[in-house]
Amino acid sequence: MTGFARRLAGKLLTGLVMVWVVVTFTFFLVHALPGKPGDVQYEQYIMSGMTADQASAKVQAIYGFTSHDSLLAQYGGYLGKLAHGDLGQSISYSGVPVSHLIWSALPWTVIPVLSGLLVSFLIGVVAGIVAAVKRSSRWGGLLTVSGSLVAGVPAFVLALLLLVVFHTEWNLLPDAGTSDIQYDPGWNLPYIGSVVQHAVLPVCAYALLSYGGWLLAMKSSVVSVLGDDFILASELRGIAPVTRARYIGRNAILPLFTVLALSFGVMFAGSFFIEDTFDYPGLGDLLLKSIGTRDYPVMAGAFLLITVSIIVANIIADLCYTLIDPRVRR
Amino acid sequence: MSRPKPLVAAIAVATVAATALAGCSSSAAKKSNGGSGGGGTGGVFTSIDANNKITAGAPMNPFNAAPNMFLGYNQMQLGFSKNDPSDPNALLPGLAASWTSSDSGLTIQLQPGAKWSDGTPVTVADIKTSLAIAYTHGTAGPVASAGGTVVAGNNFEVSDVKDLGGGKIEIDQQPGVKNLYFQRLVLTATIVANSVYGSQLPADVWSQIAAVQGTDQAAASAASAKLTAEGKTIAAFAPAKDVSAGPFVETRVNPGEALLDRNQYFYAAAKISPKQVILRSYSGNQQIWGYMNGGELDYAPYTSMPTNILNQVLGAGYTRIDAPSYVSASIAFNEKQAPYNLTPVRQALAYVIDRDAVTKVGEPVGGIAAPTTTGLVGSQSDSILSSDQKSALNPYKPDTAKATSLLQGAGFTKDASGKWHLPGGQPWTITLQTVNGFSDWIAASTIVANELTAFGIPTTAAITADFATYQKEMAAGKYAVGWWLVALGPQTDKAYARIYGSADGYSVSNGQATHNDAAPTNWEHTPATYTVNGQSIDPGQLAAQLSTTPVASQQPIIAQLAAATNQELPMIQIWNYTHVMFTLDKRFTNYPKSGQNDLLANPPGVWMMQGYVQGK
Amino acid sequence: MATATATLAASARRRRPALAAFRKAVTRKPGRLIGLIIIVFFVLMGICGPWFYGRLAVDPNALYAPPSAKHWLGTDFAGSDVLQEVVTGARYVLATAALSAFFTSLFGVTIGLVAGYQRGVTDSILMRLTDFVLTIPGLPLLIILSTVWSFGSPWQMGLVLGITGWGGVARAVRAQALSLRERGFLEAARGLGLSRRHIIFKEMLPNIAPYATMQLMLSMIAFVGAEVGLFFLGLVPFSSTNWGVMLNQAVFSGGAMETPDALIYLLAPLVCILVLTLGIVLFLDAIDELFNPRLRERA
Repeated sequence: MTGFARRLAGKLLTGLVMVWVVVTFTFFLVHALPGKPGDVQYEQYIMSGMTADQASAKVQAIYGFTSHDSLLAQYGGYLGKLAHGDLGQSISYSGVPVSHLIWSALPWTVIPVLSGLLVSFLIGVVAGIVAAVKRSSRWGGLLTVSGSLVAGVPAFVLALLLLVVFHTEWNLLPDAGTSDIQYDPGWNLPYIGSVVQHAVLPVCAYALLSYGGWLLAMKSSVVSVLGDDFILASELRGIAPVTRARYIGRNAILPLFTVLALSFGVMFAGSFFIEDTFDYPGLGDLLLKSIGTRDYPVMAGAFLLITVSIIVANIIADLCYTLIDPRVRR
Repeated sequence: MSRPKPLVAAIAVATVAATALAGCSSSAAKKSNGGSGGGGTGGVFTSIDANNKITAGAPMNPFNAAPNMFLGYNQMQLGFSKNDPSDPNALLPGLAASWTSSDSGLTIQLQPGAKWSDGTPVTVADIKTSLAIAYTHGTAGPVASAGGTVVAGNNFEVSDVKDLGGGKIEIDQQPGVKNLYFQRLVLTATIVANSVYGSQLPADVWSQIAAVQGTDQAAASAASAKLTAEGKTIAAFAPAKDVSAGPFVETRVNPGEALLDRNQYFYAAAKISPKQVILRSYSGNQQIWGYMNGGELDYAPYTSMPTNILNQVLGAGYTRIDAPSYVSASIAFNEKQAPYNLTPVRQALAYVIDRDAVTKVGEPVGGIAAPTTTGLVGSQSDSILSSDQKSALNPYKPDTAKATSLLQGAGFTKDASGKWHLPGGQPWTITLQTVNGFSDWIAASTIVANELTAFGIPTTAAITADFATYQKEMAAGKYAVGWWLVALGPQTDKAYARIYGSADGYSVSNGQATHNDAAPTNWEHTPATYTVNGQSIDPGQLAAQLSTTPVASQQPIIAQLAAATNQELPMIQIWNYTHVMFTLDKRFTNYPKSGQNDLLANPPGVWMMQGYVQGK
Repeated sequence: MATATATLAASARRRRPALAAFRKAVTRKPGRLIGLIIIVFFVLMGICGPWFYGRLAVDPNALYAPPSAKHWLGTDFAGSDVLQEVVTGARYVLATAALSAFFTSLFGVTIGLVAGYQRGVTDSILMRLTDFVLTIPGLPLLIILSTVWSFGSPWQMGLVLGITGWGGVARAVRAQALSLRERGFLEAARGLGLSRRHIIFKEMLPNIAPYATMQLMLSMIAFVGAEVGLFFLGLVPFSSTNWGVMLNQAVFSGGAMETPDALIYLLAPLVCILVLTLGIVLFLDAIDELFNPRLRERA
């Protein structure tokens, strides 16, 4: 057990270092962007009739949340605040705390992503096993091709196709938003039902994104395990097919844990397109908007959170792997 | 493969359960988007606020940069501008029922029965707080850096707010400051409740304002800095609930929609028919078109749509309403970069670009090809200029022969393959700069590039990734040729200040315009004076003069500016936007019609206040 | 027998059996042949397509026109011929995908091999670097980059996608290298005193090559998706013949989801992407069997 604890500590330390590196990287990257926050609003104020001076004064007032210290000083301040869990104040929302914005956006990314991941994992693994076992037959080949094809289709294409089919053609599911406004948010059935109804298409989109990956990974893993000597030996020894299947399953599923961690990253990348298409106010959408308005604190905060989630997912996947695979435990 | 089977079964059950749950609850509690039954008052008015994409988590504070506040619904002003080009001071009544203007300021009469949504009446304290907040936000007062300098025409200076009793309030303009549009500026200030915002201001805010208006420079700068700091606090303030003096009160906002319920205390509550208003969020134009296709919106704002969408929407039962829009899309030149410093070159380009064809592709529905370039939109210059002056303007009809002769006269040569060369001999290519997000500019650029390339000047369209970068780089003078919005009316001084103002190196103080070619904001680099009809005119000076001239006497100045702009072409106006809106009469009737421009210049909340939009 | 410079690599192929094995693998299943044909078709379209067309013409009077004799796939938002745009756009898509795959493999394989062979400190450092690249979300980084640098040409786009995408390849190659390390022939090579460079590039690389090639082809699909996606989001530069730009225009400006008029304009590049992906996937099956003999069924 101490070995495990040591490994856990080691991973956490590496994770922390990684987070610090990412924080530094994003901070300097984000501040290297051209254009200042409020540039877009300035033009809009001009268009609405203000004089140039009035517009710049107003921009200064409501966007004046940018610091004028040196970059290094700002960096130090940022790190200090971060240690206290303070992500700063948004610029494009004039002072609303960044953590407030991120916490309202987080559930709308994490829940659909996790649901989609779970659905795609289950379906993909099952399909992968079938594809591996039946790979000489037509079905196996078709299944494999379907998996690869779906894996190759870009995220936004999937999202658009889903929309066209399920909303434009057959008006089955809503096309935008997280729930109907008529329902009071809370733990009541109508609201939850509405949320689920609005979440079906985004979850399907996420699931389709990585389903192909699971299928192919599971298939190749099963195939390579099938070729292993111990399987042949167990067949020769006359072990029941059920038990053999268990041997194959447990061995085949091991490499998939590395894929699990990677696919979390894939999901987040796809979340931009999916959230944009379905008007889902998640983290990816927040990040996209903040880039357009040069809202540095929100950009940094969202970037940070996405990266931290991926790091945490990696650590968990690694630990699960060591827990499950006795060969790695020492 | 016995193992996977239970898993498959589990998934199947879960999926079925989820869809059953979803289908069950959505059919049980009917989405009341279609209006609850027929007859009389009531019903839900669904719309989109084009200025507000709705973010859950944004505060209900109109002074925030991106608030969840909706003008005309829960955000009120004393009056609403009619957007009348002949009288910028004409407004529709809002919280102010009537007003009279005098040399020293304005006297308004509050609506009898004007109340906030918590039942308390609207009083002079609310007006005073709101105007003080305008100072902290830079919308009132002089430029912070100017301190106490009196800048004729630009200042919005309120020196005092007096309660004359019986709902009458006197608002004094600072003595010595003469702003022609004081009435409009006061009446269009956002009014908020003193009970909510009063505590956000320091007790001595009006003495700070007095210091800013005073002659002591040091005190003025100090007070100005304090006011700006207070402005930041106010911008970040997030009230717990919405206290509104408008027809509706915001009940709740979720990431997809904002729900506003009727305000029973509204002064004209009897005129308001809808029971609820739902404002939907959107992330792109195609979503609005999707909503319209489903008949889900009762009012849809302007979007840049192609003709096939227009036909689809009209087929879905929408009625189109056109209102004048005082914005023009133009292609502007940086005259510091050769060869755009030569007037014949710019004129030749105007002769090559076929504005009709470009508009057909760029803005087929929401734009009209600009009849000519004057610095104002066509409808406005038509109403101001006399027929002689109009016929003297050059419409720059497509004429490649004319363009060729102009260029050859300027020393350009055409080689054997038909491509043009600069007088120095180098081949001439143009990069037309446009920006991501303006789909109409991008589409139009392909046509412009095509026309110019066919003429012999290989042209490519370049896109800047986002608007903030585009702004910055345009202001820094990086683009030789780029798209730009001009003719920002209906105030003519604003329209010409756009062209001959800070973007051209002019700075205005004391009613005088001084030209500084090296000013950092100068990217147009037009020459300081133009020669028009043998006369030498200073366009920046004339534009500055417009702000202190009453509308009735502006005609001679505008005639000069229009003629100069038409001849010298600092930019080529391509199309003038039209404000195209759509209304659906499935659930509501009695919408304003085309021609009622004063109403159409305002959001539907204002229509409801005036008695329009009745439920079926 | 073995030549003087003893390459003790496990599977040294000679030319003729390779070609025969290739042909056999491809023709074993009809799907694979179809995949090869599709790939060849698109490559030909990419190389020769633009030769058939001159400059892209516009026609303001025929916007979003339905398919006709003059325009087989109709027209787009400016009246240009959709078929011409699709055919001309293939070149960019394929070139960028190929270059991205090239750069990714260049960085990923090199780093993975060196890390896998060296182990110790070098390995740690390189793996930390790989982790860093893997955790940074690629798409937001690309969006942020696009505001400072307009990476439009295939080389630039390929380089940028390669720089952000080599993480997975490096990790996988390193795992392969680690397992190779345990095999006997590398021990022998070290014992013989062969230089490190020789071992990495002459012994390990040929064994990694099949796996790397597989990854290369697989990643081409991902890169097609990534570059089309970047253009779909509206990044620079704009080009009427770019498939991603066509999708963007069709959905956001043409209302392809709402009206049937712009639907062909949306479907044309979409179907091309799908068919291209299908072709690569089908053909990959043959490559898979070629390099992974264990997958060959007991026919």
